[in-house]
Amino acid sequence: MIKKYALSFGALVLALSLAVAAAACGGSDDGGGSEAGTGTVSVLSLWGGGEQEAFQKVLTAFTAETGIKTKYESARDFLPVVRSRLAAGNPPMVAIIPRPGIVADLAKEGSLISLDDLGLDADAINDNYSEAWTNLTTVDGTTYGVVAKANSKSVVWYRPDDSKVQPVETFDELKTMTDGLKSDAQKPWALGAKDSWTLTDWFENIYARTAGADKYNQLFSGELDFTDQSVKDALTRMTDILNNETVSGGIDGALGLDFVGGIGKVFSTNPTAHMYMEGGFVGGIALADVNPDLKPGTTIDFFPFPTIDDAVGDPLVGGGDVTAAFVNNEDVAKLIEYLASPEAGKIWVSTGAIVSPNKGVTADAYPNELVKKEAEQVTGATVFVFDGSDLLPGALGEDWGTLLQNVIKDPSSMDGHLDQFQQQAEDAFAG
Amino acid sequence: MRESGLQAVPFLAPALILAFFFLIVPVLWTVALSVNRTRGLNFGDEWIGFDNYERLLTRDSRFLDRDEFPWSGALINNIRWLIVYPALCLLLGLVTAVLATRVRYEAVFKAIIFVPMAISATAVGVIWLLVYSPDPEIGVLNAVIGSVGGDPVSWLGRNDTVNYAIILAYVWASTGFVMVVLSAALKGISQEVIEAARTDGATEWDIFRRIQLPLLSLPIAVVAVWMIINVIKVFDIVYIMTKGGPGGASRVIAYSYYVETFENGLGGYGAAVAVVMLLLILPVMIWQIRRFRSEAVVS
Repeated sequence: MIKKYALSFGALVLALSLAVAAAACGGSDDGGGSEAGTGTVSVLSLWGGGEQEAFQKVLTAFTAETGIKTKYESARDFLPVVRSRLAAGNPPMVAIIPRPGIVADLAKEGSLISLDDLGLDADAINDNYSEAWTNLTTVDGTTYGVVAKANSKSVVWYRPDDSKVQPVETFDELKTMTDGLKSDAQKPWALGAKDSWTLTDWFENIYARTAGADKYNQLFSGELDFTDQSVKDALTRMTDILNNETVSGGIDGALGLDFVGGIGKVFSTNPTAHMYMEGGFVGGIALADVNPDLKPGTTIDFFPFPTIDDAVGDPLVGGGDVTAAFVNNEDVAKLIEYLASPEAGKIWVSTGAIVSPNKGVTADAYPNELVKKEAEQVTGATVFVFDGSDLLPGALGEDWGTLLQNVIKDPSSMDGHLDQFQQQAEDAFAG
Repeated sequence: MRESGLQAVPFLAPALILAFFFLIVPVLWTVALSVNRTRGLNFGDEWIGFDNYERLLTRDSRFLDRDEFPWSGALINNIRWLIVYPALCLLLGLVTAVLATRVRYEAVFKAIIFVPMAISATAVGVIWLLVYSPDPEIGVLNAVIGSVGGDPVSWLGRNDTVNYAIILAYVWASTGFVMVVLSAALKGISQEVIEAARTDGATEWDIFRRIQLPLLSLPIAVVAVWMIINVIKVFDIVYIMTKGGPGGASRVIAYSYYVETFENGLGGYGAAVAVVMLLLILPVMIWQIRRFRSEAVVS
């Protein structure tokens, strides 16, 4: 009995002391200016596998140059991990944030350290990037990090050895080609709509090319209502090209299939569809995980998402991840500065895993023609818009994808869903 | 000899203190969060009363949609779970337990039914993802349908099948447990009672219906309560198999809690979901505790 009592008491003391310790650590991120580092920087991101290996090469080069060690942690469920660690007062020192909309959320909560507070020259760092990218890291005039990598999301993947698909330049041609393939043994489109962001990417490409970049940016920043006619027109156009007749397995089948499964429909050894619309990163995943026998340029290639309206042109829809600091010390500042440098960018892109938005990284740094072509598209775009669902605050990004799943299933339900989403959006943008 | 209650205090204190810090405080904390305008997962400065609850129950169509009949949303899905899952588990568990006692290879049979219990819910989800795959080359179920000439069905992509598809996977994983518990209880029924019934001319069905089933009512109730509480909390298998999709059609309460709190960073709103979940579980627990008490009196 006494033993048990002592044990319980010990546990209680332990629990209380942990609580006190956690509370003591909590407030350490206040105040400006860099403190001395501890010699190790922890970095958290959602990358695993090939993407992690590529990033690790950059971290290794950083350690070789500065002597500062790094500790990389991977969390596929990035947001839940970051939020619970923030709540516990134990955030990672540096994190690579996959949704820039979250950067603003975290900055407003006071969780992020600005470049100025880190003792870095924000203007000098931002000079390496065009404004489209620095907008993502800047909240109310303060810069909270650097864009780590970029991706084009305006690409249609196909097999050049598939004689029934030719690269097209206008949406009308794409529609004609789609209609012509409806009765083919292979359906025109593969779609992995179980991952709802594949649908948001479709919508964004169509919307940017019909309503234009200005309206696009207004829509995803809460200035334009989601019930606007331009949204409905874009959705109608989208369900016009993606429906039970054109999508392999039908819409229900697509809603049961994830993003990688969609790649398999076109690029596995037994294809059941002709084309797949998704980001530049499809190439790397297809080559590494789906079918290693693919030959870039011969059995796998892409063409840019076609023009819909000549007057609007081809705004490029792109995605990107933001590197930001949660802890303020000199080592962290050095790592952020290094990741913003062209040297780090060149090492990174040489792995073929990413495209760098850094102006100092030139085309010759890219290892194969698929990535080089994507990089040219990203840097050569006259108008660039950022992946809209990633820009939406809080719950909206997720809910927008859920809405599109419902609309693609039943286009006639569009109005009701949009009305309701608009109400949620007003709440979220106000909060 | 009658002792004053005070003497018990020092002996109960350690347990009470632990229960206070690790059960009572977190519950109160959650309730407080749910009426606060939180910043991330931490308390903010503003108290907003029942706003979160009002929004949750009237304006969140993913949680409760009363616009058209039948109602839908995470809460309704949980009710669907609550009805289908315990009923199917009990039925299959009871049938397999009773039938198993009547065959010679009972041990092997029971071992096979019990194996899924050794698999984590995560792995169960992955296994059934493959079973349900819309691609007949991957999905066993669609391969079978294809072999008799049917078109593949996207079990997890259709609103009308997705919930039942997940529930069925979970039933597969828990039937073994129900069977083992009921089977043990069946073994506890004295053989003499059954033989006496046979001598009196009872049929096998009579024996099951009038002797075994009434004597099994206690273990059945215990297992049912365990399953009901489990089902209100169900999360893992939904997360693995559909992430609440398509279009939010397979969300359950615990999944809503996870999304609101961690994905969306709305600590207060998530806490409101958790409180609703607690309120649903509470009556079941009170009922269970009452029953324990009444049984203690009887025995």
